[in-house]
Amino acid sequence: MYPFWEVPFFTSGLVIALIATFHILPCHLATGAFWFTVYVERKAYKQNRPELLEFVKKYSLLILIFCFVIGSLSGVGIWYAATVASPRGISGLIHNYVWGWATEWVFFVIEIASIYVYYYTLGKIDQKSHLMMGWLYAWAAWISMIIITGILAFMLSSGKWVETGGFFDGFFNETYWPQLFTRTAFMLCIAGVYAAIVASTLQNPQVRRELIRSAGIWGVAGMVAGVVFAAWYLHKLPVHAKELWLDETLPYLGHLIKISAFSYGVVLLWFVVCCLMWPRMVGRLSGIIVLLVLFIGIGAGEGFREGIRRPYIIDQYLYGNQIVARDIPAKHIKAEVPVFNEQGFLKHLFFRPDKIDPSNWRDLMSAGNLIVHHQCGNCHALDRFGKIRPLPDLLANFSPESPEDIEGLLESLGDYPFMPPFAGNDLDKKAASEYLFSITRR
Amino acid sequence: MDIATYVNSMRDPAGLPFYPIIFQFLLVLTFAMHITMVNLVVGSTFVAIWEVWKKNEHGLRLAKALGRVLTVGMSIAIVLGVAPLLFVQVIYDPFWYTATTLSAFWALMFLVVITLAFYAGYGFYLGNRNADIDSAKTVWALVAGGLLLVTALLIHMLSMEQLMPQHWKDWIVSANGSVSYAGGEFHGIAFGRLLHFLLPSFAVTGVFLMLYSAYFKDREDYDKAYVNYVGQKGAWMALWASVLAIGAGFWWLGLIPSDFHFVRNPLFLLGAAMGVATTAFIGSSIFKPQERAIPAALLMFGTIFVMCCAREALRMKHMSQAGYSIYNYPVNADWPSTILFFATFIMGLFVLYFPAVAAFQAGRAKAGQVVTLDPCIGRKAVSAMIGWFVIVAGLGIIVSIKNGVLF
Repeated sequence: MYPFWEVPFFTSGLVIALIATFHILPCHLATGAFWFTVYVERKAYKQNRPELLEFVKKYSLLILIFCFVIGSLSGVGIWYAATVASPRGISGLIHNYVWGWATEWVFFVIEIASIYVYYYTLGKIDQKSHLMMGWLYAWAAWISMIIITGILAFMLSSGKWVETGGFFDGFFNETYWPQLFTRTAFMLCIAGVYAAIVASTLQNPQVRRELIRSAGIWGVAGMVAGVVFAAWYLHKLPVHAKELWLDETLPYLGHLIKISAFSYGVVLLWFVVCCLMWPRMVGRLSGIIVLLVLFIGIGAGEGFREGIRRPYIIDQYLYGNQIVARDIPAKHIKAEVPVFNEQGFLKHLFFRPDKIDPSNWRDLMSAGNLIVHHQCGNCHALDRFGKIRPLPDLLANFSPESPEDIEGLLESLGDYPFMPPFAGNDLDKKAASEYLFSITRR
Repeated sequence: MDIATYVNSMRDPAGLPFYPIIFQFLLVLTFAMHITMVNLVVGSTFVAIWEVWKKNEHGLRLAKALGRVLTVGMSIAIVLGVAPLLFVQVIYDPFWYTATTLSAFWALMFLVVITLAFYAGYGFYLGNRNADIDSAKTVWALVAGGLLLVTALLIHMLSMEQLMPQHWKDWIVSANGSVSYAGGEFHGIAFGRLLHFLLPSFAVTGVFLMLYSAYFKDREDYDKAYVNYVGQKGAWMALWASVLAIGAGFWWLGLIPSDFHFVRNPLFLLGAAMGVATTAFIGSSIFKPQERAIPAALLMFGTIFVMCCAREALRMKHMSQAGYSIYNYPVNADWPSTILFFATFIMGLFVLYFPAVAAFQAGRAKAGQVVTLDPCIGRKAVSAMIGWFVIVAGLGIIVSIKNGVLF
């Protein structure tokens, strides 16, 4: 196992979640914005209305400064955060989908080349070629979404990959198409929000009203389509995921869906009331508020997507604590739980004291500390006042009176549909129980 | 457990989806592209500051141009950096993940610092667009430059820690048996190596200025004196920076364990020879920077590429000390996805011709002139993208139906 990185009170998982949520706004804007931009630019040329180009220039600059700073860096940020929080998780994805990411990278390069050329050559190259540059960016950006969605969907539903180990069998899985369509609809909605905000800063009042209304139509269309595709997506969720959510095994999943749906409703209302009915109401303040609502809704949606994957980080293959869950014969992968149960978990740790004497209580606690950090710390805060699934509080609910009580709980851990089984031999279990009991007494 | 057992057992259980040497080649190639762009960004930032401080018209004009280079270049550098970041995780995963987790805090700080550097760069560029000699400000460029140096230090540290597996355990497991989970390790700074990466920034920027001068020399609305000023400045800067980079290279060489006998490594010798040849060529181009700009740029990139190969050889030497070789990494070759990448890569080169031609021709035209491009170029580029989509979507529908996952 790799060294463990602990984020006190919040867990390293929350760091990934925050960066991922932060990434979604700029990356969906980057993928969706240019379909609207090209639409406006085409209209400007077709109707001979150069005043519309002010919007094109402003909107492109926003994409450059926001998407290609925050978007690209937070994208790299997810990788870095995943590396330090769940190195075996990101490694598992990369070793199966490196060519997918590398292919996406080709489109990133096309995106960055085409958007800079688009922005800096407006009015400097002929109209047809400039429009083509816009189309080029729009396609490259959307294709990058087509690719990354396959990898994200694979984490939730690994499809036939567990049998064949084939790239495309995992990529085009049960949730791929509905997720792609949902994200596509959603990108149009985000593009609409930003477009309306940028349009509200235009000088010409007639153009301002017209473009805010157009952005509203795009946004409403995206949101209505999004509802249909999201329903398809939820319908296609793996049975296990549906049970966690609909059977209220994990009640917080239901709350997250409600928050997400509420945010969706608020944004839809904003599009209808502010953009379509009273464009004058669209401005920086209402824009910032609606962006905050979007951010909360995205955070809840992402939290839901992460939550229904439990206990896996990669469906059926890798548990949240980075232990391999099952054999994948096509890839010569062996499940690790039986190995750890037989040989002991501690034996497989490199970053541990050289000698651990099980008869020495201090050594036992030290061993327990290591095991608990590695097997629980990815998802649970280990501090008394931890904010994310704090283990001291969760264990206190069981009112353990001795380490043996906790040992019993560890033995039955795999019976919970959202928890990975404890991986280790009797000594590991005893050490972990002693340590866990001690943190309930802090 | 010894270090060799650890690093070999931490290889990903899925193995590699293709042969390691291909990933290694792509790693070196894309890193060379990335570091060249990073060098241009760092060099442009400091040259822009210097040019504003000189308080003359040519200097200010160049500083404004470099402000744009700084922001555009940083975007490109980040995108290009994604590829080596990906490939290093594929073949050197035990080293990358261990070192980065040990220094998790600093790895995440890197992101914060580079984001601030980016916005500071925009602050300089946008803030000085309409500035004159008296009102031009360097404060944001100074902030950007300082932050870029911090990011260089952080990335250097993360790279160095990967080469020190024999020390990893001592860093976080203390004598009393406690283990640190803080992720705050910061080790391995070697200033010789760091300088060998930073000093070429001025050489690369110098060659870029030679190219800039060559590119704009025929533009009617560009003052010839300004274009010559930039070319001369670039050639001199490239010369002196190359000489200093060679010096830093020898400093770095002195820091490498002598039992590696790296001084006899053929890639190092080739890199050193190319470095000297490039310096000599630039030295001979001082009075004709415009004519010599393209060969100088090709030589410079060639040298950077070979030096990156030498750096890779050095990394392999370090890692062999820990009993690790990428060449015996288990392979589960996945041909369909490999073909997908290489076919897309070739298509990407074809598509990029369109923005390249558009940028080149638009930049050559004088202000106010609208360039008309051959409509076929753009149409073919967009058609290639749509073609890619149709093929992959078709494949996806077939696979989904075959696997019974579509509806």
